[in-house]
Amino acid sequence: MKIVYQNIHLANSHTLAVYEANGGYKALLKAFDLGSDEVIEEVKRSGIRGRGGAGFPAGLKWSFIPKNDPRPKYLTCNADEGEPGTCKDRDIIRYDPHRLIEGMIICGFAVGIQQGYIYIRGEFYREAERLQDAIDEAYAKGILGENVCGRGVRFDLAIHRGGGAYVCGEETGLIESIEGKKGQPRLKPPFPANIGLYGCPTVINNVETLASIPTIIERGGAWYGGLGVAKSSGTKIFSVSGHVNKPGNYEVELGIPLKSLLEDHAGGVRGGWSNLKGVIPGGSSSPILPAEVCATITMDYDSLGKAGTMLGSGAVIVLDKSVCIVRAVARLSRFYRHESCGQCTPCREGTGWLAQIMTRMEAGQGTLEDIDLLQDICANIGGKTICALGDAAAGPVMGAIRAFKEEFIYHVEHGRCMAG
Amino acid sequence: MPTLIIDGKEIDVKPGTSIMEAAKLLGIFIPHFCYHPKLPIAGNCRMCLVEVEKMPKPVISCAMPVSEGMVVKTESDMVRKARQGVLEFLLINHPLDCPVCDQGGECTLQDLAMKYGPDRSRFHDHKREVPNYDLGPIIETEMNRCIHCTRCIRFSEDVSGVEQMGAVYRGDHMRVGPFVEATLDSELTGNLAEICPVGALNLKPFHFQARGWELKHADGVCPHCSVGCHTRVDHLDGRILRVMSRAWNEGNETWLCDKGRFASDGLGVERLLAPTIRSGANTPPKKVSWPEALDQAAAILKSVKPEEVAGLVSDAIQGGEELYAFQDLLRHVVGTPHLDHRLRQRDFSGDELPLTRADLLMNTPLSDLNRADAILLVGCDPRFETPILNLRLRRATQGGARVIAIHAKRLNSNLLQFSQITVAPGGEVERLHQALRALEGNDTQDPVAALLKSAKKPVIVLGDHAIHHPEAESLRRLSVALLDQVGGIGSDWNGLNRVASRGNSAAAQDLGVVPHRGPGYARLDAVGMNAATILEAAAAGRVKVLFLLGVDPIEEALDQDLARRALEKARVIHLGAFACQAANLAEVVLPGLAPGEKPMTLTNGEGRVQRSARAGQGPLEAKEDWRILRGLSDRFSAPLGYNDLDALRKKMAASDHRYDLSKLGPNESPRACDHSPVTRGLPVSVTGAEVAGGIHLVLESSFYRDDPVAWRSKVMAKLARDGRLRIHPDDAAGLAIVENGLVRALYGEKRVEMRAELDKNVPHGVVFGDFGPGESSLRGLCDYTSGFPKVSLVALPG
Repeated sequence: MKIVYQNIHLANSHTLAVYEANGGYKALLKAFDLGSDEVIEEVKRSGIRGRGGAGFPAGLKWSFIPKNDPRPKYLTCNADEGEPGTCKDRDIIRYDPHRLIEGMIICGFAVGIQQGYIYIRGEFYREAERLQDAIDEAYAKGILGENVCGRGVRFDLAIHRGGGAYVCGEETGLIESIEGKKGQPRLKPPFPANIGLYGCPTVINNVETLASIPTIIERGGAWYGGLGVAKSSGTKIFSVSGHVNKPGNYEVELGIPLKSLLEDHAGGVRGGWSNLKGVIPGGSSSPILPAEVCATITMDYDSLGKAGTMLGSGAVIVLDKSVCIVRAVARLSRFYRHESCGQCTPCREGTGWLAQIMTRMEAGQGTLEDIDLLQDICANIGGKTICALGDAAAGPVMGAIRAFKEEFIYHVEHGRCMAG
Repeated sequence: MPTLIIDGKEIDVKPGTSIMEAAKLLGIFIPHFCYHPKLPIAGNCRMCLVEVEKMPKPVISCAMPVSEGMVVKTESDMVRKARQGVLEFLLINHPLDCPVCDQGGECTLQDLAMKYGPDRSRFHDHKREVPNYDLGPIIETEMNRCIHCTRCIRFSEDVSGVEQMGAVYRGDHMRVGPFVEATLDSELTGNLAEICPVGALNLKPFHFQARGWELKHADGVCPHCSVGCHTRVDHLDGRILRVMSRAWNEGNETWLCDKGRFASDGLGVERLLAPTIRSGANTPPKKVSWPEALDQAAAILKSVKPEEVAGLVSDAIQGGEELYAFQDLLRHVVGTPHLDHRLRQRDFSGDELPLTRADLLMNTPLSDLNRADAILLVGCDPRFETPILNLRLRRATQGGARVIAIHAKRLNSNLLQFSQITVAPGGEVERLHQALRALEGNDTQDPVAALLKSAKKPVIVLGDHAIHHPEAESLRRLSVALLDQVGGIGSDWNGLNRVASRGNSAAAQDLGVVPHRGPGYARLDAVGMNAATILEAAAAGRVKVLFLLGVDPIEEALDQDLARRALEKARVIHLGAFACQAANLAEVVLPGLAPGEKPMTLTNGEGRVQRSARAGQGPLEAKEDWRILRGLSDRFSAPLGYNDLDALRKKMAASDHRYDLSKLGPNESPRACDHSPVTRGLPVSVTGAEVAGGIHLVLESSFYRDDPVAWRSKVMAKLARDGRLRIHPDDAAGLAIVENGLVRALYGEKRVEMRAELDKNVPHGVVFGDFGPGESSLRGLCDYTSGFPKVSLVALPG
């Protein structure tokens, strides 16, 4: 079942002509006919949860925007896609930008927003160009602008290119960045739904979430809600990377067994299932699952949550037995140290400390106390920071020690890795 | 009114209050670093985490608003663990150099580490190393100690409006500092060190001077401008080493300007150490005992007719006590009506009227200024006359108030919604009159009229330039008339503010150190001569004895030449703290004490009567000024009737009820703007004396050097601009004057030579000079009658 990726196999799928030929912008007209309240109801009925990582129900988020507020409202699309392992949004923008634009116009209409921004990752240079071409096409055709499709609705759309900071994928860091400030997340509350971009009510959704909206409107929220499993409805794109034979983006229904995703879609683990060491199921910040859990777990928000990890952005990173877990975690820790914005104490100091210890540990200069210390530092970071980056930095370390403590001990005792 | 429970204690607070503030009301201290009551909330230190029932994670109490039924625990296991974790994080990259850190002993991090921190470190990796910045004469940096609380950044963005501090880089490489390394260019820089919770930003003048715990503290009131900020004066062995702010919500909140904070090092310079007398004009002064000196002074005063004696007083550094005693002595013991403190004033025409206290002081309390919605600055540069008052105006502009400044030069203002009408010197009167005509004719085209008309809470501030203007009284009356037109002078809102910048000029007005009024604004039968006339009479030999209290007219009078001739002609008695030319010319020198060395009554611009405690020690033989006057009065038939400070203060209170502080409760502040209504409906005469053609000289006070303590301060000397002749580059080019080139300025027979500074903020056809101090001030060209003199400039070689 392909929803977001339904068109990407077509030649010139990024053009307005191809998009329209395959039913594009019909959902928009239907949304206008339904009326804004009914659109929000449809999205609520679909049960779609945010695809960026946090998994917050999108319809609920839209309904939080205050009505009858004199301030302007903004829609911000998060196309920063910085989570290591994730590359799903890039393909949407590259191959089906109009689906995103249509989703944004529908959202704008439903919530009463006249200005949208797409905050695109700075490294996505060509994607930004292609997206701009699509926006220009839509403006030329009267799909964007003062009078969308002649229905008297105004919606403008602008691209803001980021500077390459991971933390700007955090919604309030993203807002700060659009406002021209240093990308540092804000304190919450107040939430962006009340005080967001330029101090005004703001909806922030991921590219994949918004690109799912046209189909939800077209085929109905109930139909979409029937896909997947309870509380994890619809389809999800999984960016499978690492030691599989066919890495790539796979759009499947939520609730698919991880083993099926890897074996049936991604061509199987390199060297066979028995060679699997573990899987990072939802982007680098989600704690790793050891192989024995991978065999049975299903890919939905709740089962992964129960397993102590998360669905996140859907970046499935597969590690086979050649991987040194300590080395992998050390690399991730250095990443989070580099990307911490430096604003709040636990993350600023904690990520640096974690990275220093992990680097030492990898080089065989760790001690057994360091393993306890790592866990203690992670506990002191977790839940005490302004944004989720602190938790994201602690997650991989905690997960790896929980699942592969013996490798850490081996590193300390032998000064090298057991994986060779 | 949400009700919540903190640590088992119930409290009702206003909606929107944070948990931190609610806990403070209960007397519960929640440790914090980044929270500061007067700064925007950042919530980044994470030290103030508390546990709230039904919330899964600890929350930061500084940012979390209270809600009904909340149950907060500030000392639970979860909280204690979180605090320990945060402290450990803060300490891993913090150097262990408390023994050599200025902040040691008064450091928030040190205190909280003692209370919550681990006793040994688990950190065995590399500590961060951060380079230091040279930020000029005020701030010493040791950035390794920085804990990134961003108080300094928030202060510069939100409070001072000079965005010079910021954060660059990310993560644990993040550095707090200036974006461009340069001297911090703000009049409020010292506050950065005061709010820094650790020893990263220190006060350079105090660097390595003393340890915090050695210092004794005295509650002071700043004498350096008319805001009268509350200070905590830190002293050791009789020396004032540091001035910090004392929280005062109605005034300086927690801020101090750099002058108030750092000028005190001028106290130890050029002091008069012992009483001296001279027998003739060219004999050297001889050190004598106090009785001898007082006998000699009394003899001089008695040697002439009483009305041939005149007194001149400083309103900058003298306390209310000696101001009262001085006028009492001259009027009732010596018997002369001639005394004044207004040596810079040109226009004395207001003296003919029974002006009230409301006409001469502020009528909007400082704490209400931030509620103003329209601000008209007339001849006022609040940022560099009364910086803390300017902060109130800035708060008002942050709330949306608009500002128009009418001034003879372009102001470097940090107010928002600021616009300026630059007029030729003297044109201020016509400009205000134009606005008044517009208001009367309901013409909303005029921007000044439109500004005032649109406002519910308009404010007019008359500043230094307006008060010393040749038509100061007209400016004042026009301001009253303008406000009256828009209903800005009422019982619930009164927007008329005449802000004399000097520290105690309000007390000088109140206590009758003017020729036409007695203490408490009492009418007098015998009206004496004003400052200008006294100097003329002395130079002409009609006044034969000049009694100076804390003032050197050669340094401070508008007409420097006249002052010199007066002092050379008359017999001079000088009572003051500092050695100066007047003291050199005096026959009797009586060494007094300077601010901070004596208990002082200071009255601020709002008319709030405040008391400053004694902190430092003056020279061994110097005495409290009022005691010297009391001792001197013993040589006369009817001595002054008070023998101790209490008795004197009772006399002051009897003459003006506002000086009676005995009924105030322990935490009660004396009242601001406690005075009768403004006199309205006075006729306004406009002569249209705007200068035209040629180049005209305007004097302005130099913020960092405009009182006798400040101009002796080494720190102020570093902050002050060079006292050069400021001229527009175009005018300079026409006269072949170059930057820093020597220029001769001529007016009549007077001439002054000085270096030039090309300044685009000076309009065409005008040159600006500093009022003083110093021999070669452009004041040398001025006199009391010629307004803004038309000067000739000649570029000199070299």
